[in-house]
Amino acid sequence: MDDRLRETLSAMMDDEADELAVRRLLSHGEQRDVRSQLQRWQQVRDLMHQGHVPADSVDVSAGVRRVLSGQRSSQSETPEVDVLARNWRWPAVAMVSLALIVGFGAGAGWESSEPGGGGAEFASAGATMTGDSAESPVQEVALQGLDEEQWEHVSRYLLEHAQHNSVGAGRGSVGYARLASASAPAY
Amino acid sequence: MLSWLSMIGYAQVRRGLLVVVAGLCLSVSAIADSQGAQEPVPASPAPETAEQWLTHMGPALNMTSYRGVFVYARGDQVSSLQIAHRYRNGMVEERLVLQDGGSGEIVRKGMKVVCVLPDHGRVQLDQVIPSGPFAEAFTSQLVPVIRWYAPELLGEDRIAGYNVVKIGLKARDQHRYSHRLWLEKSTGLLVKSHVRSGGGDVLEHFQFTSLEITDNIPDAELEVQFQGHEVERDLTAEQTDSPTPRMDGWVLRWQPEGFVPAAAPRSGTGQAVAFSDGLAAFSVFVEPMGRMSMPTGASRIGATTVYISQLDAGDKPFLITVVGEVPPATARKVAESVEIDDAMAFETAGR
Repeated sequence: MDDRLRETLSAMMDDEADELAVRRLLSHGEQRDVRSQLQRWQQVRDLMHQGHVPADSVDVSAGVRRVLSGQRSSQSETPEVDVLARNWRWPAVAMVSLALIVGFGAGAGWESSEPGGGGAEFASAGATMTGDSAESPVQEVALQGLDEEQWEHVSRYLLEHAQHNSVGAGRGSVGYARLASASAPAY
Repeated sequence: MLSWLSMIGYAQVRRGLLVVVAGLCLSVSAIADSQGAQEPVPASPAPETAEQWLTHMGPALNMTSYRGVFVYARGDQVSSLQIAHRYRNGMVEERLVLQDGGSGEIVRKGMKVVCVLPDHGRVQLDQVIPSGPFAEAFTSQLVPVIRWYAPELLGEDRIAGYNVVKIGLKARDQHRYSHRLWLEKSTGLLVKSHVRSGGGDVLEHFQFTSLEITDNIPDAELEVQFQGHEVERDLTAEQTDSPTPRMDGWVLRWQPEGFVPAAAPRSGTGQAVAFSDGLAAFSVFVEPMGRMSMPTGASRIGATTVYISQLDAGDKPFLITVVGEVPPATARKVAESVEIDDAMAFETAGR
């Protein structure tokens, strides 16, 4: 799943994706990846708005999964043109469900929680945070939500860590690159 | 848990490994010298396995002379830097020039580093001076790294006009990210790298977009050229006898297997220690909370996680921050394993 698709998925969750972009998402070959990405984002969104991830990891993903499995079995014998129709449905279910649960207005909070500003990064963060099923998800803190003083504090830590990387990470220029990146004005 | 005894043991092992690495470097140097003298020498066999390539990469990082431009991306931020790197008479000299935003450069001559970085950033210039033992702790770990990552030869490619081999380093546990390295075939120089999540997402991307491997790098290319607030620091003076000089008063009860204390970044008012497994690194900062409040949780910028938490010790709040190229769950677990003894708490409270 490439960054462009992730952006489309993120935009779709925020009800900002145009039809062409959604069609591209739906025609993507790895629907399983798309589905898991959506699920992870939903979990992170739940975490942000409710402070925790529900034990059953909610309803929406489970419901989408049920819809999908039902469609998959019924469409296995249908011609190819129906695959598109099938693919159209599940994101629609996800969109409606998400809209019901968190509301479309949640998009703003979602965006602001991404350190890098891109849906891809946050999605992968969600994946990592829930990667170890034995552990509870890690609470996400939005860098963009920090005030000036808090950001100064975090940026100092980033730089000090980057200093260390720059001289000793054993990978030559990568450490310097991190240093330069960390010294940028803001994320 | 760290103790003086284990520190001594670690230092001995590290010194031993360093001797091996130094021997390897001398061997390579000897080969280079003899080649320079036009004497026929038997060609060393080209690396064939991923492990051999990793061994090849170690000396190449410093002992290859080159110039070029590379890009670095994490999160949605992309930086590009121009670099000239020369290895001559046993000394590494290099100069990096920022290509984006305000002008700035980093110049290194052996153990001396000079930084001239953009003054429009939010950070103080003197906060970006590299410190700590210069690469020592890491060069000794290039081989042990395969204990924590499963190496795999993934084929060949072409980067910046050079033929490369692609090495996969898959994390053997969930406490670290996987890596992919692209090494130039004739020298072993790292020309591209990825840091990847367990799901295969690229979290951090480094790549040369132009590269010239050459010994012809004049002195002028390695001199500081920008005007600005310049700060210089000799790294040799930063080294201390203990690899964890700033851990007095607190201990880390857990760190992922393979991560060892590697350097001591300079923390403003508290204590900081960095750990590395040879590829990834994280730094742990412990300092009194002060009047500022910080949210508890993790933030991510590409492969870099910042996990912040608060710990009360002796009725005094402390801020625990873990910064590193590790998954958020790892950073949290490390932060939660920090223990502060009351003596330190009282000491810092009196500052």
